[in-house]
Amino acid sequence: MQQLSVRHLLGIKDLTPADIALIFETADNFKEVLSRTIKKVPSLRDITIANVFFENSTRTRLSFELAEKRLSADVINFSASGSSVKKGETLLDTVNNILAMKVDMIVMRHASAGAPHFLSRHIKANIVNAGDGTHEHPTQALLDSFSIRERYGEVAGKKVAIIGDILHSRVALSNIFALKKLGAEVMVCGPITLLPRYISELGVKVELDVRKALAWCDVANVLRIQLERQQMKYFPSLREYTLYYGIDKKLLDSLNKEITIMHPGPINRGVELSSDAADSHHSIILNQVENGVAIRMAVLYLLASQVA
Amino acid sequence: MTILLKGIQIIHPASSYHNQITNILIQNGHITYIGPEEKTADQVITEPGLCVSIGWLDMRTWVGEPGLEYKEDFWSAAQAAAKGGFTEIMLMPDLQPVIQSKNAVGYVQQRAVGLPVTLHAAGAVTVDVQGKDLTEMIDLNQAGAIAFTDGEATIQQADVLVKALHYVQYFNGLVMQRPRDKYLSQLGLMHEGIVSTRLGLKGIPALAEEVIVSRDLQLLEYSGGKLHFSLLSSAGSVEKIRQAKAKGLAVTCDIASYQVAFTDEDMIDFDTNYKVDPPFRSPADKAALIEGLQDGTIDALVSAHKPQDTESKKLEFDLAEFGIINLETAFAVANTCLKEALNLENIIQKFTTAPRQILNLPIPNLNEGEPANLTLFNPTKKWVPQKASTASKSDNSPFFGTELQGQVFGIVHKSNLVLNPEY
Repeated sequence: MQQLSVRHLLGIKDLTPADIALIFETADNFKEVLSRTIKKVPSLRDITIANVFFENSTRTRLSFELAEKRLSADVINFSASGSSVKKGETLLDTVNNILAMKVDMIVMRHASAGAPHFLSRHIKANIVNAGDGTHEHPTQALLDSFSIRERYGEVAGKKVAIIGDILHSRVALSNIFALKKLGAEVMVCGPITLLPRYISELGVKVELDVRKALAWCDVANVLRIQLERQQMKYFPSLREYTLYYGIDKKLLDSLNKEITIMHPGPINRGVELSSDAADSHHSIILNQVENGVAIRMAVLYLLASQVA
Repeated sequence: MTILLKGIQIIHPASSYHNQITNILIQNGHITYIGPEEKTADQVITEPGLCVSIGWLDMRTWVGEPGLEYKEDFWSAAQAAAKGGFTEIMLMPDLQPVIQSKNAVGYVQQRAVGLPVTLHAAGAVTVDVQGKDLTEMIDLNQAGAIAFTDGEATIQQADVLVKALHYVQYFNGLVMQRPRDKYLSQLGLMHEGIVSTRLGLKGIPALAEEVIVSRDLQLLEYSGGKLHFSLLSSAGSVEKIRQAKAKGLAVTCDIASYQVAFTDEDMIDFDTNYKVDPPFRSPADKAALIEGLQDGTIDALVSAHKPQDTESKKLEFDLAEFGIINLETAFAVANTCLKEALNLENIIQKFTTAPRQILNLPIPNLNEGEPANLTLFNPTKKWVPQKASTASKSDNSPFFGTELQGQVFGIVHKSNLVLNPEY
């Protein structure tokens, strides 16, 4: 059996293009499984996975949990709002307590960039990063690229614009890494205060005008405005953001071409995307959600083959 | 007690024995003979490759006493200092409580009795290092505070810095400022650049340092007095200070010796032992720091010793405290990383005469009849710092397990010979 080059999925940065291809091929198989009447396979029987979420999450946690259950893994969930430090227990203690109950893999979301990397230096279990601060969200980027591949047959050569708060977005960063590895052209677009100053050094185009970005791209990946992750003010108001960066059906119709709209969710309807745009034929937002389960099954399956 | 240093090379440009390999006899804490004769002594040091210079002085040591003794106390700091070749260290005042009264200075002096190294106290510039009201700096100076700084805190308010620079002119005093704009550096975790972008970590732009350097140089021109910038990190700061010195402003500066060891590119795996403030900057900044050391723009090298207990470091990157220990490694790091850029006597000068000139302290001499304030070291000996044998109470160092060149053999100070047990 082919194996990933990594023991953990900490970030897209660490993956080779061959790793991504392997994950996609495995996800193709699982997607076929998910269309069957009996959607469950015994692949991860006897593997115990803990979903450890130190930040609020609905869809990512559900998607992981479903992926784990479809693979017949035993699943436990732990969630704590705020950091564990605030509760007086360190992250390492919390996770070691969970691991003491003979858990094989950890799926973790944490508000601190690098938290899963820190953990990987101190524990033996395989780790899947389900989002670390403003750093990476690798499974989201994988499912996004997988969805583009599904729509267009391949990712290479496609023009993808990532629009919104790039500065605070782990989805943007992981998407840039994944899309570049797969040969896509990438543009970031947003108010300049929400674009990291050195972002173009990652080999992406930078555009401040959302109309120009949409006119350029084949795929627009529209990000949520992460008000909760902004610890200071980066733009004057949501009203002005919506006026100048919001995407609606009228704007999409004014382009003389068909583009694909993606969004990692949850959508702030009427802010970054209007309802008529989100629900239009341009949108593959719900396909992304569906593909998320297959991608996470593939990642867990491939990493589980390395469980000691 | 007599000690004979046999066949030792003297590194001290001000001495007529500079670069000579000779014998030094020390009797009751004084140098009584330098020359070819092999005098008898209670203790004879015959270590091949050994050099001797006047004692090294670290003008930026942060010790947790009083208040945070679990990170470092005077005793452990003194052991680490001696092991690192320092005979004198200047302590930062930002403690709990802040060193801002005669009593606090007296406490430091009293606790220094019996320690192998001299402890100098720096007093706070502002009450509780809050950057608002001046402390009683004349009285503090009378009590023995040799310089004034708010330690880690930057004096943000221009009018307060002007007042301080004016006020200390009464005793020709020195104000030390660690330049960092509070708002531009807010929530920052590492150097702002492509690496921070890739890591999703909020950056501390070089600009945050440079705007304060620019501003303060202008304030210094207005107020007069003496200003010292601590812990520079950016190329822009070095250039501004170079120009100010050319104009004749009374400005001096230092960098942490570890700044010449790393850049932001060394931070890729979120290791909190690389989390320092100011941060490791770009390779171009590092090159500019080295150039600044070469042409004398940067006067001194400091340890910037900042002990942190495990509970403050073994954490998620953003939650971990800034700082690393460096008393034991300060010289070796500089000697290892600067050997292409500076010759040995220039490196030693940055740890010996330069900080004393900045602080207006007497410079010991290396002549017969002088008190022995000496550091013995081997600049070519390779060694590997080990976590298990560190003298500090804390073990937050990125240098454990890394081979360094240049090891301290021991110090002669306060009539005692203190040997590095690891040599």
